[in-house]
Amino acid sequence: MNQHALSVQDLVKTFDLGFLGAVPFLGPGITRRFQLKGIAQRVEAVRGITFSVEPGEVFGFLGPNGAGKTTTIKVLMGLIHPTSGQGTLLGAPLGDAQARARLGFLPEHPYFYEYLKPLEFLDFYARLFNLTHRERKRRAEALLDRLGLTYAKDRPLRKFSKGMIQRIGVAQALINDPALVVLDEPMSGLDPMGRKDVRDLIFELKEQGKTVFFSSHILADVEALCDRVAIMARGRIRSIGGLHELLTDAQSPVEIVTRGVEGAPREALAALAAQAREASGQQTFILESDAILESFLDQLRAVEGARLISVIPRRRSLEDLFVEEAAKADAADIQAHEGAPA
Amino acid sequence: MSQIFAIALNTFREATRNRVFASLILFAVAMLLLTLAVSSASLHEEVRLMKDIGLFLISTFSVLISIFIGVNLVYKEIERKTIFTIIPKPIFRFQFLLGKYFGLASTMLIQLIFMSTVLALIFWGLDANFGEEMVQALLLIYIEVLIVIAIALFFSSFSTPFLSGLLTIGAFIIGRFVDRILVIRLASKDEMTPALENVKTFVKTIAHIVPDLSIFNTTPYVVYEDPIDWSYVLNGVGYGVTYVIILLFLASLMFTRRDFI
Ligand SMILES: Nc1ncnc2c1ncn2[C@@H]1O[C@H](COP(=O)(O)OP(=O)(O)OP(=O)(O)O)[C@@H](O)[C@H]1O
Ligand SMILES: [Mg+2]
Repeated sequence: MNQHALSVQDLVKTFDLGFLGAVPFLGPGITRRFQLKGIAQRVEAVRGITFSVEPGEVFGFLGPNGAGKTTTIKVLMGLIHPTSGQGTLLGAPLGDAQARARLGFLPEHPYFYEYLKPLEFLDFYARLFNLTHRERKRRAEALLDRLGLTYAKDRPLRKFSKGMIQRIGVAQALINDPALVVLDEPMSGLDPMGRKDVRDLIFELKEQGKTVFFSSHILADVEALCDRVAIMARGRIRSIGGLHELLTDAQSPVEIVTRGVEGAPREALAALAAQAREASGQQTFILESDAILESFLDQLRAVEGARLISVIPRRRSLEDLFVEEAAKADAADIQAHEGAPA
Repeated sequence: MSQIFAIALNTFREATRNRVFASLILFAVAMLLLTLAVSSASLHEEVRLMKDIGLFLISTFSVLISIFIGVNLVYKEIERKTIFTIIPKPIFRFQFLLGKYFGLASTMLIQLIFMSTVLALIFWGLDANFGEEMVQALLLIYIEVLIVIAIALFFSSFSTPFLSGLLTIGAFIIGRFVDRILVIRLASKDEMTPALENVKTFVKTIAHIVPDLSIFNTTPYVVYEDPIDWSYVLNGVGYGVTYVIILLFLASLMFTRRDFI
């Protein structure tokens, strides 16, 4: 069986703003008529994305604020209806109840029933999966323990801190021992310890053969955890692939530090480099790609009195990629805007 | 089934652990005691009056609490985003809605039993007769409450609590006076203009759609200690349950199409 753990095809989600957007039964046709008259406004949150996550993967879903990550996740979770396009969860079309029985979900900035105590809270979610009384109790206790909340089991959630809420939210997502876990910003609001706990937990889930799909802004966590990532910006997927491929593509910059390169030879070398600067008697050259490294070094050796201090391949960080893609998306968007007929 | 029960239990817990709810009930009981104390001290025919006032207070409070909680039932879950963790679970949206309904319905049942017990205890203390007709009246009040909750849930399945509250109160008032509205004469035949004719059709249409709640008010019989026929009560139950089913069905239709944003 070659089945995706999760997939979307040509997914589009447009929000209608203003009060007309809140009226159900107004089909797109009617709302569009109002838009033409300028009465309704729309936000294109997701503009046609296609990707899939394979079983057993830890997949990172990245992108700047407002990129459309949460919107995509909400469509997958059946919370909002797509404007067009489709998706699948565990091989079944969205909304399939059997697939949802094997799904775990933690929403962004969760808030929970504050009048419940942790065990009641988890018991409530366990009931939604038709588990027996004994099984509900066993799992709730095990998860409380796993997430380090046993000490707080007599407090209502009203008295939980933000990080504790995040933890009980993760526990809730795991109550059915899901095959696919979707987490929208699981690390947000957590202290370094909490982040490490969630990281360990995701590793553990991976070891158990589960699929984890999570969005995050904390790139260090993503680099440490993910097999593959997708970078989304302005409603589109800008980049997708294995972390390794994305970060070490053909263009890997190199940083070269020298001493005693001055005057005309320095100018000549600087012309080859993307950047050149001098500080406390050391010259730093940054080559855009290692393809010209050899010729650069040849030229350097010819310079009298020059000393090579270091050659450091500059691996692109996920952060570089993230910032680059976000900037490209912005530029593309502005261009599309200006290119469009008035 | 287990899903509906889980939602209902959670709704029941939320209501009963809410301080506002507890204080409303205490307030209602206090009102009941106070009014009955005043009426029994100052007037003769006190038992009749006490029944009248007691039933009036119990039904008014029950309806108000139902509307107050009912219009917020679903809205709160969306506003606080707690619904985000429910919908992705293996539960259908109509099951969620039914769970919310049964949760509040059972809360109101407990509430009503509690208030009725207080009333019965007062009667017992005064050596007054708390007969079959009182039980019938209270049962019908509960059926009315069930309809009101369904109306509130229906409106709130697609609009804000404030608007739902207004609409539910409107429907409730019209429902209570349906029998009178239907026989209203706006004007005599020759004064009738087309505009007035339209108003009349509109009002009559509304009055036909809204459930006739006047049938649940049996106070006039109760006051004269006249047990009504159980077949009348059963009819009322049937009528109420039918309305509830229709309203919940429509609410589910609206709710299924919603985006939770
Ligand atoms: N209910 C809504 N109504 C109108 N616009 C919305 C709504 N929800 C989201 N949007 C818009 O859709 C776009 C995508 O939002 P989304 O929440 O999916 O971003 P995100 O990638 O999750 O961002 P963040 O990293 O800040 O959580 C934004 O421009 C946002 O303003
Ligand atoms: Mg988000």
